[in-house]
Amino acid sequence: MISNLLVDLFQTGLPFLYAVLVVSYGISFIGGARLLDAWKTRVLVAVIAMHLVYLGARTVSFDHPPITSVFEIMTILAAGIAIAYLYIEVKTGERNTGVFILFLALVFQLVSSLFIRDLVRIPDYLHSRVLGFHVSTALLGYTGISLSAVYGLLYLMLYHDIRSSRFGIVYSRLPNLERLEEMSHRAEVFGFVMLGIAIVIGLIWLPSVFTDFSYLDPKLVATIVIWILYAVGLWAKRQFGWKGRKTMILTLVAFGIVFFSMTVVNIYLSGFHRFH
Amino acid sequence: MNLFSIGISHHTASVEVREKMWLSEAEAREILPRLREQYFSECMLVSTCNRTELYGMILPGTTVTERELTEFLIGFKKADPEVQPQHFTACEAGAAVHQIFRVAAGTDSMVLGDIQILNQVKEAFGLAREVGATGPVMNRLMQATLHVGKRVRSETGICEGAVSVSYAAVELASKIFSDLSKKSALLIGAGETGELTLKHLVGKGIGGVRIANRTREKAETLAAAFSGTVVDYDSIADTVAAVDIVITSVTGPTFVLGPEELHRVMRKRANAPLFIIDIGVPRNVDPASRKIENVFLYDIDSLNTVIDRNLDRRKAEIPKVTAILHEETEDFFDWYNSLQVTPTIKDLRDAFENIRTQEVQKNIQRFRAEDRELLDIVTKQIVNKLLHQPMTVLRAGSASNNGRDETLLRVHTVRELFGIGRRVKGADDGA
Repeated sequence: MISNLLVDLFQTGLPFLYAVLVVSYGISFIGGARLLDAWKTRVLVAVIAMHLVYLGARTVSFDHPPITSVFEIMTILAAGIAIAYLYIEVKTGERNTGVFILFLALVFQLVSSLFIRDLVRIPDYLHSRVLGFHVSTALLGYTGISLSAVYGLLYLMLYHDIRSSRFGIVYSRLPNLERLEEMSHRAEVFGFVMLGIAIVIGLIWLPSVFTDFSYLDPKLVATIVIWILYAVGLWAKRQFGWKGRKTMILTLVAFGIVFFSMTVVNIYLSGFHRFH
Repeated sequence: MNLFSIGISHHTASVEVREKMWLSEAEAREILPRLREQYFSECMLVSTCNRTELYGMILPGTTVTERELTEFLIGFKKADPEVQPQHFTACEAGAAVHQIFRVAAGTDSMVLGDIQILNQVKEAFGLAREVGATGPVMNRLMQATLHVGKRVRSETGICEGAVSVSYAAVELASKIFSDLSKKSALLIGAGETGELTLKHLVGKGIGGVRIANRTREKAETLAAAFSGTVVDYDSIADTVAAVDIVITSVTGPTFVLGPEELHRVMRKRANAPLFIIDIGVPRNVDPASRKIENVFLYDIDSLNTVIDRNLDRRKAEIPKVTAILHEETEDFFDWYNSLQVTPTIKDLRDAFENIRTQEVQKNIQRFRAEDRELLDIVTKQIVNKLLHQPMTVLRAGSASNNGRDETLLRVHTVRELFGIGRRVKGADDGA
């Protein structure tokens, strides 16, 4: 079947494609080739298109959307990051931060391609559209939070370089501090809103599907705690007009908490929220 | 090729010498026709504060020495004895083409990559054309020169990065803030560099300008020039809290701003980034303020670091520029050589023959098999007849006075009219 062929082809091929993408953006970042400046975005669009074909082919081949295992979700996350970055690039016209963000996509895709399995028999509820919506909004939420952390990190790098009069590649190729702060903030707001939607859908719909549903499920609790954390942070920024370095450090700390808690929840704790 | 160039520049002469050889527009208008009459079939002259250079095609069948031209120029400017022939350098043919290209590319400038001069070169060509001193070669040389300037700017980084204190300050400002039109600046004191920095910021569209000075009149004059407002010199700290960029250039033994004031200022402005450019010597802002979060404090030394770095980066671009110059010089010579009569006749014949074959191929099916050979013969005859007259005229030129003005112009016109040969890429897109 053609879709099986496509699955096999892209499962192996996508990490390489993302590697090509990261290398292209990397060379372009250090100012190596002006030709790449013109071509890198086209390469990005092509890779995203192929990734979508891969996700479509997986859905057809295994008769369910690829949201049933951590590794299936990772490939969606990779695609989500690439799409979010493309959106940012088009929206802001800022084309020099791709290497940092697409590197995340490469890591997720690589891990996914290495460990993904072809699950055909899955519980009925995993075919649900509502679940698809729940999972995709949650993923978009985490994508936004990750991107805000990447931009926060870039902000701190540039802040440090400007203050210590180090005018290297970071100084010459990154956008200005204000722009980086704004990008980080926007990604954060986006992530916050998406995560909020995912939580609402989950709270309304999950109890009706899972007999063993519990409000004390670790993943649910962790996500809600994270969401409240961001709500407080965003409110404080607005209320007190927090700006600059400290806010960016807070963004990174928050991301650290997210990363840590999600790792712990996914690896060490169990609940109805695990499907594999 | 009998292109000749002679000039005096910052490489060979001090400013005292160079200014003696500087030609005003009126002087250029006077000297160009005379040069054309005596030595050149076409010529042009660039004169700026850093160089005076003459480019010309030597009249066919004549020779001219470097000495003759130097003496003519010195005599015209009555610059003897300050200016001596050894202040001049001359080059011929390819070297002369390369020289004007280097000028346009900014690799011959006093500050590497400074291509303000490109405009002056353009004007110089324009002036020479106005007084009728140019011809096909100079016109082409101008196109090619402007094209070099354009390519160098878009394909290399030779002009990138600020190389003066005032521009370096503006460059830093745009690394901190994204939209300068939403920011405002305060100039404390009035010094040349401070004013220049403010001028560049205004040029970048800074949202608001405030000026504080010990003598209020001076502040008012500046405020009028930059459409800004005057603020009280004694309440500077309050104003600093309300602006985003501060330029200080005050002469005095004490600091104008210190960490204590700035801590207060930062609280007042909710910690929003503040960029301080301290151009004063001795310094106006206590360096200890550098530690305060979101305060970006730069003094002359740190601005010079920016400049040094940018100059290093420009230097690293020289090989790329040189490659472009070689390519463009080669292109120019390809064009120049094509102006010879024999290759032009061949190109013209080929161009017509191409059109003929194409059209015959396209329409051959419409003819009966037995007529097809006839079609070929008839079309060939038409082409030959059409070409007969232009060929004869071109050949006559070649036999009698090949290389002379009219022949050159004629060959050039023929090539233009029939679109033959390679053209300088982008030469016609408004360069």
